[in-house]
Amino acid sequence: MFSTILSGTIYGMESHLVQVEVDLSSGLPCFVMVGKLGGEVRESGERVRIALKNSGITLPPVHISVNLSPADLKKEGTGFDLPIAVGVLAAQGRLPSGCADNTMILGELGLGGEIKKVRGVLPLAIKAVDGGIRKCLVPKENVREAAAAAGMQAVGVNHLAQVITYLKLSEKQQAEMLPPEEGGYQEELSGEISGGGREKGPDFAEIAGQESVKNAALIAAAGFHHMLIMGPPGSGKTMIASRLPAILPPLSRKESLEVTSVYSISGQLCGNAGLITERPFLSPHHTISPQALCGGGKVPRPGILSLCHRGVLFLDEMPEFKRQTLDLLRQPMEDKEIRIARSSGFFTYPADVMVVGAMNPCPCGYYPDRNKCRCTPFERRRYLRSISGPILDRIDIFAEASRVEFSGLRRKKSGESSASMRRKVMEARRRQKERYAGTRIRFNADLEAGDLDKYCRLDAAGAELMEKMFRAMDLSARACHRIWKVARTVADLSGSPSVLAEHLSQAACYRAGDLGER
Amino acid sequence: MAEDKMYRFWLHHLPGVGDKTIEKLLGRFGDAREVYAAGQAALEEVLGNNKALKVTEFRKRFQLQRAYEEMRDKKIAFYTKEDEEYPVRLREIPHPPYGLYCLGKLPADRLPAAAVIGARECSEYGSAMAEAFAGRLGEAGVSIISGMARGIDGIGQRAALMRGGKTYAVLGCGADICYPASNRRLYEEIREKGGGILSVFPPGTEPLKRHFPERNRIVAGLSDLVLVVEARQKSGTWITVDMALEQGKNVYAVPGRLTDRLNDGCNLLIRQGAGIALSPEDILAELAIIKNRSSGSTGRGLGPPKADLPKADKAKEAERTAEHTGRGKTEQSILRFLDYHPKSVDEILEGMRGAGIKIGLARLLSELVTLCMEGEAKQVTGNYFIKKEYGKGERE
Repeated sequence: MFSTILSGTIYGMESHLVQVEVDLSSGLPCFVMVGKLGGEVRESGERVRIALKNSGITLPPVHISVNLSPADLKKEGTGFDLPIAVGVLAAQGRLPSGCADNTMILGELGLGGEIKKVRGVLPLAIKAVDGGIRKCLVPKENVREAAAAAGMQAVGVNHLAQVITYLKLSEKQQAEMLPPEEGGYQEELSGEISGGGREKGPDFAEIAGQESVKNAALIAAAGFHHMLIMGPPGSGKTMIASRLPAILPPLSRKESLEVTSVYSISGQLCGNAGLITERPFLSPHHTISPQALCGGGKVPRPGILSLCHRGVLFLDEMPEFKRQTLDLLRQPMEDKEIRIARSSGFFTYPADVMVVGAMNPCPCGYYPDRNKCRCTPFERRRYLRSISGPILDRIDIFAEASRVEFSGLRRKKSGESSASMRRKVMEARRRQKERYAGTRIRFNADLEAGDLDKYCRLDAAGAELMEKMFRAMDLSARACHRIWKVARTVADLSGSPSVLAEHLSQAACYRAGDLGER
Repeated sequence: MAEDKMYRFWLHHLPGVGDKTIEKLLGRFGDAREVYAAGQAALEEVLGNNKALKVTEFRKRFQLQRAYEEMRDKKIAFYTKEDEEYPVRLREIPHPPYGLYCLGKLPADRLPAAAVIGARECSEYGSAMAEAFAGRLGEAGVSIISGMARGIDGIGQRAALMRGGKTYAVLGCGADICYPASNRRLYEEIREKGGGILSVFPPGTEPLKRHFPERNRIVAGLSDLVLVVEARQKSGTWITVDMALEQGKNVYAVPGRLTDRLNDGCNLLIRQGAGIALSPEDILAELAIIKNRSSGSTGRGLGPPKADLPKADKAKEAERTAEHTGRGKTEQSILRFLDYHPKSVDEILEGMRGAGIKIGLARLLSELVTLCMEGEAKQVTGNYFIKKEYGKGERE
């Protein structure tokens, strides 16, 4: 009168396999669940009882005990409904013994017995495969997600009655009834490598003028540098930023799994989607709360920052964000992940994002056009200073969009297309990959001061120019390193193996200047 | 003698008593000490009931000795019309102020003085012009009088100091208060380099809006000539100009583009008959420092006119020209497309392409930075560039 079913739960960003143990014994009839359960798991018993009843099965009047093991791990989520129901049936002997061995079962039950989608299926499937489990029963809507884990045979089910019938069959009959899905990622990834991806989205060719900002965007995308775009209202700052994902190099398989896992855990994977293959681009409103940005909450969930993992976090009207909220970006911009400590435990969420900010040059937005702008230097400085120094310090590229004249709009001469820009980015990316093979560095943006001498050695002319700039522009050591780092990307884009003076001076054009200082 | 001055200092502090009333009081009593000693009844004769009461009350309340000592501790000198040191130019204007506080030195009467004034929120063009004009005038020995305000005033005064000139700031607050605070360094430097901070307001007076018209009147009063660099159509600069005209002084204006609102003031002044300042030499000629207006001033150019160049300068000039042509061809053509109004990289690129010069964005960006480093251009903000110094390389 005892059965064990395999299931799993997500805690923070980590997935854990959980044994669902069910025992039926004589005694006062009741349904007891133990094992450090969260609210939604505790309610599971009621859903299971009624779903079973409505599927035509009445529970015998016995003492039913359910234990979720390991018992010291907090259980969250609604995925335990289905494994508990199967466990009860198995313990009753209504299912052949051993029918669900080596199978991970996940799913939420409706009162009518229907099976609904749950969060975190992909990371659990990956975890299961690591533990030697090759088969899983998941809600139909999650099946492609589960199949994305390499080596997992995912079976999608949509009703409790269907599950009962399925489990009674022999292995061969099972495969005939519901053929398992497998290796969904392969097609998607192969489709992407052939250069497909985003071409349908908005294109850089639609932007009139602003060549200097477009060039800056190209550099930022090639080296994954953080970037700040300044410019008067209506000069196309948002347009340029929203086109960035289209020219970023595509996600690698590993990156894609990471991104999909985050979306899966936060329950944002829409429809019956498989792996996410496009780099995320999110633009939160400036009223965003710190928790929403970084993640957290009583039941910890990843924030916007983690949802942008490996993608672009676009902060439009950056000075409007609360200083406190912006300052939260400091640590993740450095460490590429965010560590949250709550009374309920530590959570680490991935946060390798490219931060792109947009802002006006002054409170009214029109500086240096003195016909429109009458902001005082003090007002301008205060406006720029609303972004704290440490954040500005981490931004490599500053680009300024100029006012678009009507004649410029009318000319309609289309600029460089996203496709052509992406080719350049891919080429620069390839160079970086070769150079940094076997190191922790992925992009030029990851370079630290110590790495510069190793990877971006300057020739005599370059060194001389650097020294000149250092003095003439009154640069700090940090600003110097930033220019140097960006120059490496400029060199990669132009196909030069070494960093030359011309690359340095171009990079210097996009330096922060005395923004917010002085 | 010193005591006399202390009583004059008291007289200047009387509440509700302006310059005109001071005249009246002095006319009745002779000098400040007598006013201080005067009884209620005698004062009433001149001031009327209310004011006389206030004066006697003030006499009881005001700690004259202490206030006077405090001022001396701050190294502020106090001059009145009775003093010989009182500036001659100020004496000659209608209703000269009775008292003048001065931190540092008063402008010398024997040296020419010019007011260089303009908008607080100025453009890059205005700032370049203020530097060029005030710098050259200061260098030639003209005292630069201005209000030490943000923008043109401060920029001009700073340029004059930088090129070894003397400059005097007239404030709308007590001379011991640095307003605006952002010009603190200038405030210190003016004194260190032999200029002065002047004010008609007693030390400790806050910078109030209503003080500034009077301040502007003194700026005009202390100068032989007023040069307006950049001003909007409605601005405080007009007060100075009106006062200058009232005092019978010449007004010069630096012309600007018709499309820039910041130039409206100057252009309007020109229409009304102000002198057109095409180069600092125009001003110097007006001040009779140099005999003839430079022949070059009908064309363009700052700096000494070619015809008058001494030999050494000529050699230098030739050297510079050589240096100029020695520069890369691309750099030179980029320089031609730069202006004293900020131009965006895209504009420059477009202009050059329009003129048939083939250049890539990457190349342009790195050349621009090089020009900045050589001091020929300046990056205003990220995407905007201007020519660095007006008058440099203009003559080629």
